This record gives sequence, structure tokens and C-alpha cells, in this order.
Amino acid sequence: MNVKFLISLTVTLLLVWALNKSWTVGGMPIPPLGKFLSPAHGFWQNIESKKFNLPKSSDIPGLQQPVTIVFDSLMIPHIFAQRDEDLYLAQGYVTAFHRLWQMEFQTHAAAGRLSEILGRGNDDAILNYDRGQRRLGMVYAAENALHGMEKNPIANMVTNQYAAGVNAYIKSLSYKDLPLEYKLLDYSPEEWTTLKSGLLLRSMAQTLNMGDKDMQMTNALKLFGKEILDVLYPDLEPMGDPIVDKTGNWNFEPVHLNDSIHALPDELIKISGLTTPDPNIGSNNWAVSGSKTKSGYPILCNDPHLNITLPSIWYAVQLNAPGINTMGVSLPGAPGIIIGFNDSIAWGVTNAQRDLVDWYSLAFENSRKEKYLLDGEWKDTHKRIEKITVRNSEVFYDTVVYTHWGPVPYDEHYRAENNRKHYAFRWIAHDESEELLTFYKLNRAKNHGDYMKALNHFASPAQNFVFASVTGDIAMRIQGKFPARKKYEGKFVLDGSLSTQGPQGYIPFEHNVMDKNPERGFVSSANQYPADATYPYYITAVSYEAYRNRRINDILRQSDNITPEDMMNLQLDTYNIRTAEILPLLLTYIDSASLTPAEQEVRNLFTGWDYFYSPDTKTAPYFEAWWRNLYASIWDEMNHDSLSLFYPTSWNTINLIKTQPDFPFFDIQRTPEKETLTDLIRQAFKAGIETVETWKNKTGKEPRWADYKDTYVEHLTRMPAFSYHVQHGGDGSAVNASSRKHGPSWRMIVSVEPDGPKAFATYPGGQSGNPGSAHYNSMLDRWANGTYFRLVFLKQPDQATDRILFTTTLKPK
Amino acid sequence: MKFTVQLVAIVIMSWLLELFLPWWSIAIAGFLGGVAFKSKSNFLAGFIAIALLWFLHAFIIDLQAAAPLSEKIAALLMVKNKVLLFLVTAVIGGLVGGFATLTGSLLKKSKKR
Repeated sequence: MNVKFLISLTVTLLLVWALNKSWTVGGMPIPPLGKFLSPAHGFWQNIESKKFNLPKSSDIPGLQQPVTIVFDSLMIPHIFAQRDEDLYLAQGYVTAFHRLWQMEFQTHAAAGRLSEILGRGNDDAILNYDRGQRRLGMVYAAENALHGMEKNPIANMVTNQYAAGVNAYIKSLSYKDLPLEYKLLDYSPEEWTTLKSGLLLRSMAQTLNMGDKDMQMTNALKLFGKEILDVLYPDLEPMGDPIVDKTGNWNFEPVHLNDSIHALPDELIKISGLTTPDPNIGSNNWAVSGSKTKSGYPILCNDPHLNITLPSIWYAVQLNAPGINTMGVSLPGAPGIIIGFNDSIAWGVTNAQRDLVDWYSLAFENSRKEKYLLDGEWKDTHKRIEKITVRNSEVFYDTVVYTHWGPVPYDEHYRAENNRKHYAFRWIAHDESEELLTFYKLNRAKNHGDYMKALNHFASPAQNFVFASVTGDIAMRIQGKFPARKKYEGKFVLDGSLSTQGPQGYIPFEHNVMDKNPERGFVSSANQYPADATYPYYITAVSYEAYRNRRINDILRQSDNITPEDMMNLQLDTYNIRTAEILPLLLTYIDSASLTPAEQEVRNLFTGWDYFYSPDTKTAPYFEAWWRNLYASIWDEMNHDSLSLFYPTSWNTINLIKTQPDFPFFDIQRTPEKETLTDLIRQAFKAGIETVETWKNKTGKEPRWADYKDTYVEHLTRMPAFSYHVQHGGDGSAVNASSRKHGPSWRMIVSVEPDGPKAFATYPGGQSGNPGSAHYNSMLDRWANGTYFRLVFLKQPDQATDRILFTTTLKPK
Repeated sequence: MKFTVQLVAIVIMSWLLELFLPWWSIAIAGFLGGVAFKSKSNFLAGFIAIALLWFLHAFIIDLQAAAPLSEKIAALLMVKNKVLLFLVTAVIGGLVGGFATLTGSLLKKSKKR
């Protein structure tokens, strides 16, 4: 052997090795360049031609009979199966075909497994996120969700068949077929399991129903006292228009709760940076009865406002088999359709605001935390070892202590600020449940009775279910598993040494707030109060929506001869009641004589404004900057280094400005002077103009609202290359609730008619999760400019329409 | 002439092997091209063969693209534009091809002795 050969061989092997592995250079991960750039295997293979699709026919293990899938021009699959088992298998298969990476990544995120893919992160951010998920009991919750599903033969069949479909797709892949993100981050998909469907459902519940402010309220009680607390955080803000308006007309005997009142806590909980849900997460839905529509048939509308990300959170699909013909959007990872319609009915959801989280203070016997005090006796804890695999690092083990209340998330090993006090976390979605049955039955429902039966299976995340049927019924039902609470129960932390502090029962489903065919001719919900103070159960939540709901009801009350186009205009409406209610008042505080010419100009902008947050308005940026500065300076008391507090709602802030101009919080704490409300409003006015000026200098743009708000649709990896800035109006308080990163994630309007539903819809993204596909963002621009697509709803696979792209057959193997 | 034959042989072998084997099969093709078709510039033959193959393959895929993914990947890898990304792709493949062919040619030499 000569030396030259050996050297050359070594160089070649080293080169191949180095190009076959991922590197981190200067904190930036570099994909394995040889593998990644190889045109026959790497990312080039993810570049789709216009004709890209599944093969004309594929052999799928597990299928009993052939399934036909028709893709329409929006790349929406219409699945035609001959039995339920095949239908859900095909749904899993085709969803994975478009969204495999997203499905797995989201369930990894839910399960606290991102470190496996991404490593520890800067300052251990990713590892700490994973630990947080485990410590909140997310896997425990998903396991219980799965137990619930396994107990029911239908739910069990549906999840298993869906998993079989996903796995059939995964098994068909070689490296070159893997979704782009696997190649970029250099890992491979694992087997799909039914637990992952459980994780996905609980992850949705986490987004929608895990919010609470118990610790913040406990701190506020200690710091400000009960009297101030009731002013800052009233349980019911009297803004009118609850979801179901039937004062005193509750025809049932509420569950009897014993008369003892829980003692209120007297403690400070030193955990900083606790967050509450983004108030921009919410939704609108409504249905108008045939008496108010032009066609004479009901129209149902729904737009859930979520964090708008890519790949899109929703996946549109039609499911057809004997006994079922339904269409709408699914969550990639969960079988069935969540929001949609069939030949007989349509339904939709908004989030039900309700306190479903409790914290129980614990007394452990000693630092080993093997026993805790309950009703004077030491009870055993249960310890769950969480094994977290970390990429490029060693395995991390975390021990989470569980009591009968639930897990203990914060201790001396995690967020240790809390002076060794411990609290157990109780969340409704930790319990077993069987939500998938709700969707299984809703997808097949024929009338109001079927809808009611379907909802009886639904526990979490609590939702306001809107309904309309071909037979002319409209309905609303607030459905979820709600604890029957005594006054103040759940608003503060509870005493975990007394079993009587736990829920004494749950509100029977038939006592939940609901309505059918109300006289006003429409039902609606927008995350506001479910009912007025006469509802015989105590209700509290992190916050309630105060504006969108009134605008929707105002418009619906005034409207007659309603068409789907009218409903599109309402979903796209950018009128902001919040601004209309506060701006004129704020202007009275401004002393025009003392303004500079530039300030005078801004003031003049405000006077002629109609309060619409259209993309082109230059007034909205100035007002928002003013309002945000004012809001922050009013509530400067809420910024604390070592503990978490809660900013009162904007509705209550405005109410205080109107009714209590001398409220002590209007003084800024850190300054020696005593500020008045007038000072604050004037300072904020100037500061707001400065904010906008700074923005203008930074961007070199005029302050158009669409640019200033800068709606940003971000890829789940947060890579800017796969994300988009979008020109769009609206605001969290307007019906078109589009803020920077949240907004209408699916806009749907269905006219429920006997000769077939007429459905119009759009969403900010596209059916394919692949950034190399034309369908990755094919609906985004049209979503932004307010265009809807007429959905293709087929009766049979070979129905003639010019909107069909492609047909494929899945055959039993 | 030998050079051209060697180059074409490597292109054809790589293209065939890539259908069944991972990306590093280009190294096998280059190696075999070096063993079987020795020329005066083995490295160059292997380099140009794979660089050409990868450049053309990437170019043809991009020509039919329904979405501008190559531009996004260029941005992500901080390569200025997609033309540069074609070149980077070609050079990376070319380097592996060049060294593999050189290695193959040196093996032959050592055997002859």
C-alpha cells in the first residue's frame, strides 16, 4: 500500500463522514451538507413540481377495501371509504402525507420531548420547556386521555386505525422522501402511537383551557387587600351581552354545596414570570336562523383565533363512508373533523372561558416528600421519574412528585424561587375523558338531538358549541366538565391539607349554559361571560372577552335578509368597540393649547376617526401606542421582580378611568411625584407619539396599521425563511381578531340548505406542510385580503366538477 | 479521451448508484471510476463528473419547482442566491467525487507495483 493511497483514502472518508453529520458552528446548527445538498436525496427532493402527489394507486397494509381519495384545487382530500375502519386509516395516511413532521413535532412539544430534537437550547431554554411540560403532567394527562379512549370500542377503533394509517405512510418513506424539517434538523420520524393522539388533544386543551391566575390573585390579595382586589379583578364585568341571555330563567335545581366558606389564603407566592393565556387567543361563532336570512335557511359561522403558524394548525378534509359524509377541518394528529358540516347540520366552536385549574398548598412530612398531610393523616405521594433525552448531551432525569390533587410542578429543583412552599396542580384535563366520541357523533349527526347526545361525551377543553340544522334549528351549548364551585373557590390557591377544599361535585351537563332557537333569531359566542349573575353557579376565569361579542350581536340584531357575503363582511369587520369607548374620553384630557404642531397633527387624526382598524389607517398605530403606554403606566404596580401579578383587563381599566379617576393606582410608584390620571394620559400621549416616531425611523415606513401591526405567520421552527409577513387589518378586540401572531386560523361560513350545504372558507396557510410545495401557503394571500373559497363538497368520488386535481386509490395489501 | 471516458463513466455509475444507495454512493462511483479508468487528472475527472451531475440534477428539479424552496434554503444557509446554492451543491459533490476518484486511481497504481 502506498502512502498517497492511504492519505487520499483517509481524506475521502473524512470528507464523507463530515458531510454526513450535522454541526454547530458559532451556535448555528448546520445540516449534514452532503446528505442535505445531494440532489437525489437531500432537500432538492422536497421541491415539488406542480404535478406532485401520491401515486395513482398504493397498496396499504391494514385496509379492508379500496379507498378513493380525490384532491381538489385547494389540495383538500375527499376520502371515500366503504367502512369506518378504512376511513380513519385513510385519514391518518393522507394527513401524514401532508403533515407528518408537524404532527410529530407538536406531539413532541406537548410531551416535553423537544430536547431530543433540538438539544438543551440557549441557557437550557428547551430543556426547561420540556421539564415544564412534564411537570405540568402533560404526559400523565395524555395517558389518561388514552385510557378514556381505550375504554370505548368506537374511540379505540378510530384512534388505532388513524395510527395504522400514519404508520403505513411512515413505513413507505426512505430518506429522500422525508419532510424537509427532518433533513434540516437531521433526525427521523418514529412510529405513531395512539398516545400521540392523546397528546395532541391535551396540547389543544393546554392552549385553550390551562390558563389560571390563582397564584397572581393570591399575591394581589396579600398585597392590596380584598377590597381593592374586588375592584381590580371583579368576577363579573357588567358589559352586557352574555353568551346565553335568559335572566333568571334557569329551570333546574343546582347541585347543593355545603355552606362552609373556604378561608382565603394569606401568603405571597414567590414565583416570577408566571404567564396567563394570550388574550388574543379566542374565537367567534354564531348562527342565524332562517327567519333572518335571504335563503330562509340558517347560516353558521366560526373563526377560531389561535397562534397562526405554519404548517397550518388546521387540515381541511372531507370524510365519506356509509353513514357519514362530512367536511371541515381536522387537527393533524387527531381523527375526525373538529369544525365543519355534513348534509344535515353544521357546527363550530369557541373557547369557553372558565377556571379549570386549581393549586393546592401542601405540607410534606419532610424533604423526601414521600408523605403529605391530608385531613390530619400522612398520605403517600407518588413519584414519577421523567427521562428526558437530550440531543448532544446526556440524559436528564427529573423527579415529579404527585399527590391525589395532581403533580407538584415547582420545587427546589425547578423554579426554586418559592421559599420551599409547594403547591399541587389540579387540571380538569388530567382526568380521563372521551372527546373523540363527540366528534365521531357530531360528524354523523342529523339533528339537534344528535348534537346534544354527541356533546355529552365532551369534557375538555370546554367549548361553546354552535349548531345549525337543515330543519331550521339553531343552538348554542357551553360544554365541558366544570367543577361546581362555591364563591371564590378556585380564584386563589387552596388548602391542600383539607380534602373538603376539593371540588364537591361537577355541574351536571344538563345544567350547563345552553340555548335553542332564541327569539332574537341568532346565537353567538366570542369568549365572553357565559351567562349573567342569575346563573346559579359561581363562575370565574382568567378573563372574559368584552368587545367582539357586542359588535357581533349589534350587527346581527340589525341585520335581515342575511347572505353568506354579509357574514363574510362581519368576520372581516375591523371596527373596534374598545377604542370607540375610550378614545373620545381620553381626548378630553388632552390640553390642545400645549401641544407641539406635530402632536396637534396626531390629535387631529383622532378626531375624524371611525375606529376601523383597516390595513391602511394611520390613526390606529398612534392610538395603540398611546393606549399601550397608558395601560403599562397605570399598572406599573403589577411589575414585580420576585412574584407574579396580573394586569387587570382593558375593560376594567377603561371602567376605572371612567368611574374612578382618583383611583390610587393612577400614581406611578417609582416616581416621588404624585401623578394624576390627567398626567398619565398626557404623558402616554407624548410617549405614544415617540413610540411611533421611533418605529418610523427604524423601518423607514409610514405608520400604516398593517405594517405597524405586522402580522407574522411563523414556521414552527421559527426559521424566518419559512415564515411570512402578511398585510392584514384587524385587532384582538375587533371581530377580525388578527393581532401580530394570533388571529382567525380558519374562517368558515355555512349556509345549511336541503339541497346540500353551501360552505365558504379560508385559512392562513395551505394544505401541505412542505415549504417546497405550492400548497404550503396557497391560501395565505387570499386569507389576508379577505377572499373566501367555495368549498367542494362531493356526494360521490366521480362527481363531475372542474375543481378536481387528482384522484388516487389506496388498495388493501 | 481517457479523461472523457472516465468522467462519463463516473457520471453514469453515480446516477445509477444514487437510485438505490445513499448520497455517499457517489464516492463508490468515483472510486470505481478511478480504479477502472485511470486518466492523467483523476481528481479533476471525479470532481467534474459529480459536480456536473449534481448541478444538472439540482437545476432540472428547480426548473420544474412549484415553489421557491431553493431560494429559501439559500437564505437559510446564508448563501446569497439560488445560483450560488447550485454551485455550492456542485462543489460539495465534486469534492467527494474528486477525492474518491483519486483514491481509486492510487489503489490501481499500488497494485501494479
